[in-house]
Amino acid sequence: MAAIRLTQVNKIYRSRGHAVHAVKDLDLTVEDGEFVAILGPSGCGKTSTLRMIVGLEDITGGDIFFDGQRVNDLDPQARNVAMAFETYALYPNFTIEENLSFPLEVRGVPAAERRKKVHDLAALLRIEDILGQKPAALSGGQQQRVSLGRALIRDPAVFILDEVMSHIDAHLKFQMLFELKRIHRELGKTMIYVTHDQVEALALADRVAVMSNATLQQVGTRNQLYHEPVNVFVADFIGEPPTNFFPAELDPAGDQPVLRAKNAALTFSVAAERGQRLAASGQRDFVVGLRPQNLRLDGTEVGEPPPGGTLTAEVAINEYVGERTVLTLVADGHRFRAQAHAETTLGRGEQVRLRYASSDVMVFDAKTEALVA
Amino acid sequence: MARLQIEGLCKGWDFPVIDRLDLTVEEGEFFIVVGPSGIGKTTLLRLIAGLESADAGRITIGGQDITTLPPYKRPVAMTFESYALYPHLSVFENIASPLRARRLDKAAIRKAVTDVAKLLRIETLLDRRPGEISGGQKQRTALGRTLVAEPQVFLLDEPISHLDAKIRHELRLQFHSLEELRRVATLYVTHDYAEALSLGDRIGVMGHGGLVQIGTARDVFMRPRSLFVAQHLGQPAINAVAARLTGEGAALQAHAGNTSFGFPVVAAHAAVLARGDCGQVTVGIRPQHVRVLHNGEDAPGHHVIDAHVEIYEALGANGVLVADAGGVNLTALTSLERDFAHRQPVRLALQTDSVFYFHADSGDNLLL
Amino acid sequence: MSEQTARLIRTLLLIFLGLWLILTLFPLYWQFITAFKSAAETNRTIPSFWPEVWHFENLVSVFAEPTNFSALVDSFIIATGNTIASLVLGSLAGYAFARFPRQAGGENLAFWILSNRMFPPVAVLVPMFFLFDAMPWGTDSYLSLIILYLVFNMPLATWLMMVFFRDAPRELEEAAYLDGYTPLRAFVKVTLPLVLPGMISVAMLCWIFAWNEYLFANLFVGTQVRTFTIVIPTFTHGSQTLWNLQMAFSMIAMLPPVALFILLRRYMVRGLSLGVVKG
Repeated sequence: MAAIRLTQVNKIYRSRGHAVHAVKDLDLTVEDGEFVAILGPSGCGKTSTLRMIVGLEDITGGDIFFDGQRVNDLDPQARNVAMAFETYALYPNFTIEENLSFPLEVRGVPAAERRKKVHDLAALLRIEDILGQKPAALSGGQQQRVSLGRALIRDPAVFILDEVMSHIDAHLKFQMLFELKRIHRELGKTMIYVTHDQVEALALADRVAVMSNATLQQVGTRNQLYHEPVNVFVADFIGEPPTNFFPAELDPAGDQPVLRAKNAALTFSVAAERGQRLAASGQRDFVVGLRPQNLRLDGTEVGEPPPGGTLTAEVAINEYVGERTVLTLVADGHRFRAQAHAETTLGRGEQVRLRYASSDVMVFDAKTEALVA
Repeated sequence: MARLQIEGLCKGWDFPVIDRLDLTVEEGEFFIVVGPSGIGKTTLLRLIAGLESADAGRITIGGQDITTLPPYKRPVAMTFESYALYPHLSVFENIASPLRARRLDKAAIRKAVTDVAKLLRIETLLDRRPGEISGGQKQRTALGRTLVAEPQVFLLDEPISHLDAKIRHELRLQFHSLEELRRVATLYVTHDYAEALSLGDRIGVMGHGGLVQIGTARDVFMRPRSLFVAQHLGQPAINAVAARLTGEGAALQAHAGNTSFGFPVVAAHAAVLARGDCGQVTVGIRPQHVRVLHNGEDAPGHHVIDAHVEIYEALGANGVLVADAGGVNLTALTSLERDFAHRQPVRLALQTDSVFYFHADSGDNLLL
Repeated sequence: MSEQTARLIRTLLLIFLGLWLILTLFPLYWQFITAFKSAAETNRTIPSFWPEVWHFENLVSVFAEPTNFSALVDSFIIATGNTIASLVLGSLAGYAFARFPRQAGGENLAFWILSNRMFPPVAVLVPMFFLFDAMPWGTDSYLSLIILYLVFNMPLATWLMMVFFRDAPRELEEAAYLDGYTPLRAFVKVTLPLVLPGMISVAMLCWIFAWNEYLFANLFVGTQVRTFTIVIPTFTHGSQTLWNLQMAFSMIAMLPPVALFILLRRYMVRGLSLGVVKG
């Protein structure tokens, strides 16, 4: 059991006169028993962060604490951290039971205790019935679970998973996410999950730390990242299909200011009070963000629509994905997406009207790309 | 006209991977093969490309038999799952490769490559090496190399499966809008059902030995020919419950053995089911057709059953609830705003007119 | 581990490395100073560790016999010829073993080829001499040594190239077939550049072996063709060995391999940093 605190952590790689700043002034706290995901595109610094927590990489600046104890100079073995990789090598000539009990055997745990631990863990991972088999006989999902077991058996204080699912088939992945979440809930261990896949991160973690360009952008729950992304990067990175962005200008005319998309007749209305705040800021250039889920085909919503506005556009592409349909629309040279019911049969060239709620309109500063409240 | 035609294709090593497969992809058609990993999708592409030799069967393109032609004489272009870009050559040279093979003159190559690069928006990367560009850019380079060849058949192997969600959406759009791809026969392989449904003019679901079902997206999703097809399309996977049909005519009931789970079969289904001998069936209910009712909510037209919450997890865009309904575990989709506790009683509304009935042994859809 | 023990281990390590360095560099140092000593100075019972007078003229006097320079040229021709032959044959064989193991005769043939390197060369010295003597090119020719050294270099080249070809992704070749290249053109355009860094390393190993070989050269050649290795022992004066001239000549003979290494090193390094397939 451990809480982890990173304060002003920096990582700089130096080689032959080049210095690469891989992690910049990172502050992050993971509570005891919490499940935190570090999410970001490749090269954002998430793997360096993880390696510093595990102790595989020196810390250039700042401190890392486990339960208040500074661990900067501790060897990986002394930190009691377990790490699972995407492919955790299993010994092919050992049975699953032997594979699981091997790390205990190395530590000199007596046989009876080993047996008990392995069987308890097998019950948790739901692999009791395959304990006698060899790794080659297992399916991908089973192998993945045994791999997790190999890391868990040591009873680590902190459990770190590095891109463990990036090559699992989509339909298996769903099952695995579900299982992993259950395992975390039943174990109550501190877990850190590193991934570039937002679906995995949002599905699993209590909180998600979004990184980009060596810098932590935002830490928050799914809802915080989704509804209040601090900047364009987070709004763009979180959400599927991706968020629509429109460079826009504030039109302060009249008592209700509106945002007008550049070179287009598209307008976005915001609540009067918010509009006045935007006008008062003295800025004129903004970026409007609107999620495809929040653009609904006019007439399909249930009940009284919340205050907002409408957009008229032409359907360019209708993507049917079974449970839903993703429409790609074109209006005045702007291309954007909206999500609709699976039954939507609108085809190319058809005109549609879409309704959005003012409260779903995200406004960003055009220069700094930061969210404007 | 260059349609791709495959007749009785067989290929196997220690066991048959492709067993008497028949398929016709019309000129201009975007055909998607979807199936689990390791089922033989890539083998099918490699057979068409000529990288594997067929044990039996015939492959023709535009009427010309190419079954025994070496790969470099076939009018096909293929992208590999690993992209297979030449690491020692620039992006420009990678794209130009098929034209160099045909010994085109310099000016023609420069023009063709620049045009394709502009189309794929990688014109600023032409001098870089594959090691210096991102995954999405590599994918576009690989695509550029196939586009420039102007083949009669495109073969695309998992082209976007391993990319970030955002780039995946962007490239999906590109596949929709590239006229070059829409002019010739394209065979596209993926394990992701959402990708398949969204992109394919027609979709072939691959099972052991070959294509289990061929049809449009709505066809295969709403009228799966077998349990295998239904299980492979959709997330979370469809609920499959072993059940027995009892009663007659309009009073037909589905009932899971040794449990109290059961529901009346809707009349339209009962009329079809009563015809065959199908006492023992597997009932398929998609999670989105199981609604978790709010307190006191009514669900006309649905069959309402009492259940207990087993597991509830918020996953991505939806909450996923597994409930014990009288001894049967059912998965349901909920909105994210709701929360459920373990063992909490809930009422589930089954949309019984959307239920599938599969043969208990063969897995065939009994409604078709 | 405390900081003190860490420092101790570090110090011991440095001492060990220092001793190791002295041990390996001493022969080179000895060769260097001996090359510039006078003949008398080299024969003292108590050796001097620095020449009293620097006899730079030693570097010139080794070429007093004009054929001594042509011995270097002969060695160069033989080493280069053998390297090219080893690479061509070894690459083709290695490629066959890597890509078509069954058709190429399988593991057994590959092992048999390697087994050619397992016997002590001296065991076949005499039979080889008679065998080559019966050939049209005889023993005392460029061709005889070029072919003879294949016995040692080709198995090495075959095996190393086989490993390099196995590591080169097959998909890249397949992509080239689909681009429209015939197998031979795909090999030249795609596969060869991928294994080039490895190939250069193999070439260096082969070249250095052939350049330095003495045992067979001493028996086979000597009249029409002379390699530099058999020239070195000829620097004598009556029964006295002229150590200074032997060292001067062998020092000159070291230059080509060193130059070759410096010239080719950057290709070997560059090959390692190429990103293959996807990252």
